[in-house]
Amino acid sequence: MLRIPLTILALFLALATAYAQDIQLGASIQLTGPEANIGRYYRDGYELAVDRINAQGGVKVGGQAHKLALKILDNQSDVNLCVRQYVQLVTQDKINLLLGSYASNYVLASSSVAEKYEVPMLQGGGASDQIFSRGYKYIFGLLPVASQYFGSTVDMMTRLNPAPKTVALLYADDAFDTAVAAGTRKDIAAAGLTAAIDERYSNNASDFSTLLARIKSARPDAVLVAGHETEVLNFIRQSKSLDVNAKLSAFTVGVQSADFRKSLGGDADYGYGMTPWLPLASAKDAAFGDAGKFAADYKARFGYEADYHGAAAAAVVQAFAKALEKAGSTDPKAVRNAIAKLDFESQYGRIRFSDTGQISLPQTVVQVQKGELVAVFGSNGFLVKPQYPTPEWKQR
Amino acid sequence: MMRAAIWAVVLAAAAAVPWLATPTVIQFGINALFLAALAQAWNIIGGYTGYPSFGNSVFYGLGSYGTAVAMVQFDWPFPVGLALGALIAVAFAVLLGLPVLRLRGHYFAIATLGLALVMTAIVSNLPIAGSNIGLVLPLHRGDALFYELALGLLAAATFTVAWIGKSRFGYALIAIREDEDAAGSIGVNTTLYKVAAFALAGFFSALVGGIHAYWITFIDPESSFDITINVKMIIMAVFGGPGSVLGPIVGALLLSGISEVLASEISTLAALFFGIVIVVAVVLMPRGLAHVARWFPAVGWRYFGANIRANKL
Amino acid sequence: MALFGQVLVNGILLGGLYALMALGLALVWGVLNIVNLAHGAFIMLGAYVAFYLFTLLHLDPILALPVAMAVLFALGYGVQRGILGLIIRGPMFNTLLITFGLDVVFTYLAQIAFSADFRTLNPGYAGANVLVAGVTLPLVNILAGGIAVALTVAVWLMLGYSRLGRAIRAASQNLTAARLYGVEPRSVYALTFGLGAGLAGAAGDLYGLVSQINPYIGATLTAKCFVISIIGGLDSALGVIAGGGILGIVEALTTLYIGPTYRDVVSFGLLVVVLIVRPSGLLGRTT
Repeated sequence: MLRIPLTILALFLALATAYAQDIQLGASIQLTGPEANIGRYYRDGYELAVDRINAQGGVKVGGQAHKLALKILDNQSDVNLCVRQYVQLVTQDKINLLLGSYASNYVLASSSVAEKYEVPMLQGGGASDQIFSRGYKYIFGLLPVASQYFGSTVDMMTRLNPAPKTVALLYADDAFDTAVAAGTRKDIAAAGLTAAIDERYSNNASDFSTLLARIKSARPDAVLVAGHETEVLNFIRQSKSLDVNAKLSAFTVGVQSADFRKSLGGDADYGYGMTPWLPLASAKDAAFGDAGKFAADYKARFGYEADYHGAAAAAVVQAFAKALEKAGSTDPKAVRNAIAKLDFESQYGRIRFSDTGQISLPQTVVQVQKGELVAVFGSNGFLVKPQYPTPEWKQR
Repeated sequence: MMRAAIWAVVLAAAAAVPWLATPTVIQFGINALFLAALAQAWNIIGGYTGYPSFGNSVFYGLGSYGTAVAMVQFDWPFPVGLALGALIAVAFAVLLGLPVLRLRGHYFAIATLGLALVMTAIVSNLPIAGSNIGLVLPLHRGDALFYELALGLLAAATFTVAWIGKSRFGYALIAIREDEDAAGSIGVNTTLYKVAAFALAGFFSALVGGIHAYWITFIDPESSFDITINVKMIIMAVFGGPGSVLGPIVGALLLSGISEVLASEISTLAALFFGIVIVVAVVLMPRGLAHVARWFPAVGWRYFGANIRANKL
Repeated sequence: MALFGQVLVNGILLGGLYALMALGLALVWGVLNIVNLAHGAFIMLGAYVAFYLFTLLHLDPILALPVAMAVLFALGYGVQRGILGLIIRGPMFNTLLITFGLDVVFTYLAQIAFSADFRTLNPGYAGANVLVAGVTLPLVNILAGGIAVALTVAVWLMLGYSRLGRAIRAASQNLTAARLYGVEPRSVYALTFGLGAGLAGAAGDLYGLVSQINPYIGATLTAKCFVISIIGGLDSALGVIAGGGILGIVEALTTLYIGPTYRDVVSFGLLVVVLIVRPSGLLGRTT
């Protein structure tokens, strides 16, 4: 009498447990507003990784295969909205794990949400030291420490011939670039170089003519600029039209992006930058094969070239997947502890976090040579001979 | 007596929300209450006195920074920080109000806009305020505190506006709004009343800023002195009905609701929609919802056409 | 000394472009009493017109000036007749609100249409410069400054001596009397607003040569234009040139002697101080 309903109930229960819930990943990204041109790297990197992992069978948690689901909200480049959206993701949209936003000030603000609700947030968008100095347990970062950004560049400078002796250091006044400058100042002093100019400029500045006039007057051998893409673009264009020359010019952003190089044309040549990621076949990866294949897949799907922003974003998802598998559950605390113990190789490099939650990756110095990005200096010294010194504008 | 009882019930119901609703609703509520309080504050100087201030965001920002600097740099408790923020804002309102309130109309609006821009630039150069990097406040778990504070602040601001409407102070402000020169010639000390209204608006704006700063745990010059906050204040007060007691609250709740729904569903178009709403509202209902509510039942759809005919070139 | 000279000249050249940017705003404000918070958006749109003409049709930005001006003129004319004209006799800050709303709409439509990526106008001569007495003068800055001054003088002449100019000035002084003389207010207002927008379009075209463009540059540019208009006074086109020059020099010297991050403190501080002390502007007539 009871056998049929019981069988049905048992079948139903069996099906219910067999039907695995999707694991919800959520992020609030700048898809519109002034930071949207970099924000899109994060949306696209997250999507690519989620789709690839799902295509390969999803994430195995405690013997069950789960698919990843992605919800992305547009914070319109508004920090306050970003924070509110993360709260919404955690409380209303029932997101299991948080993917970070772009830019240190957004990460600084939104990481408090992760800490408040005790949901882990993994991000590849904020590098400022401040993010990791508050003793928070639920925030992890895939971008190397800001203060070390120019470390390898300064190292390279000491090995060039003739070595630069004087440096001009310019930096925007936001969290990330100020942190870069603080570290670079120490590196410059340690290397025995002199900072002829050490100047902070306003975020989003469009006119560098006075600073460039000072540089021209002081004649430093090298110029280091920590800023944003639009600022670096204006800086380079205006240094050409004001005929300001230096033997070496290095930038934290801009030269790494193909769009940037294209919009400057030949003027981007000889410029140096740094990147924690390169699309090399030697960086093997379980989901994508290697970094080169990742870059090719990225370009094929989205129509523009990936840079370290997109690679970091994909790595965020990959790290979460690995942590979920290791934790064997979707419980936020368990996943958080698993993330802290991660150590694996990926297209983005070796993923392993310090006690404060930040990754440690060496920055490779790159140079734009004839429009292409070439890796010139790594942790083991010169990879390719850099085109040094930079010829004067009038002779190019 | 009945009305007071009804309001008491409404207030009690609103205060009970943190224990009844989901965290997202609470968060939306906090945000909407903040904006409503700001709109009420603007109402005092813009709606009743007729001086369209684009500088309330200065006081909001000063409140945020006063609270943040006190808590972060000196380790003082939150109430002390809040009081400091309010004090600084009122001081600035008096100091800056005296020269700036001598201007009228557009010039006053642009001058206050300029004040907001100068403040942003000055604060981004002050190391004690964290320069352009901003400050990170200590984390407080539990949104109920912020919700109740915001609700209490809105109630206080609304009571103040209601009192203004019936007091001599309020009559003086309205007289200034309607015809300042005439008011002056019959012996109203226009400077005193204007500056007092400015300071009162600044006081409430600063308190909102301070509570908001503690809630969101991170402030920087760009987001604290953001002109868009001021514009939102104005839109909500004007949309609801400037110079009325409940208009700003209605305007704020309605617009916040629409904006929040958009931001969570079709977020990319939300900002665009916000702009369109402003344009349409100013063209069709420049006197606010309160006015619509009173006249639409009598006049019908012709109300909107009449508005346009009255205001067009 | 060479450094000072270079910085000063940079400031003056930039000032010419600043003046052109502010001219449209000052004209509309001074004549129609409309404060257009969307002015920066017009500049941005002018820059995009020039960008697409350059990228798709290879039309040199200088030659594209008339086109950019015409397109923005049409837009401004339409906005005035279709939207602003409907609220103009209402409370004054309604124009502030509605132009703010329009600014938001234009910015986000631009983002949807053109994407958030920044663009540059890079004709072959973009990096060229001449060396005069130890001072390097970028060619595009000279061009931008020179064209800006020429356009400003043209507008000043038009306002002072042409029939349309007289109609515009009459309408601004006394609309009723002007109507008695046959001035049709709606078209005069729309023409003036359109002219203001057209000048903004030209400024945007030239701005694209010295800086990068993206949909969000409008807000900062509007703020700068306010400073220039207030300093120079709303009564005179020539005053705007002086205002632009003063701002350019002040910004350059502040950056040199005080620090780059203090530039906005000084320029907006100047705005507030001038408004308080002499609202008609440094060069305007005190009424």
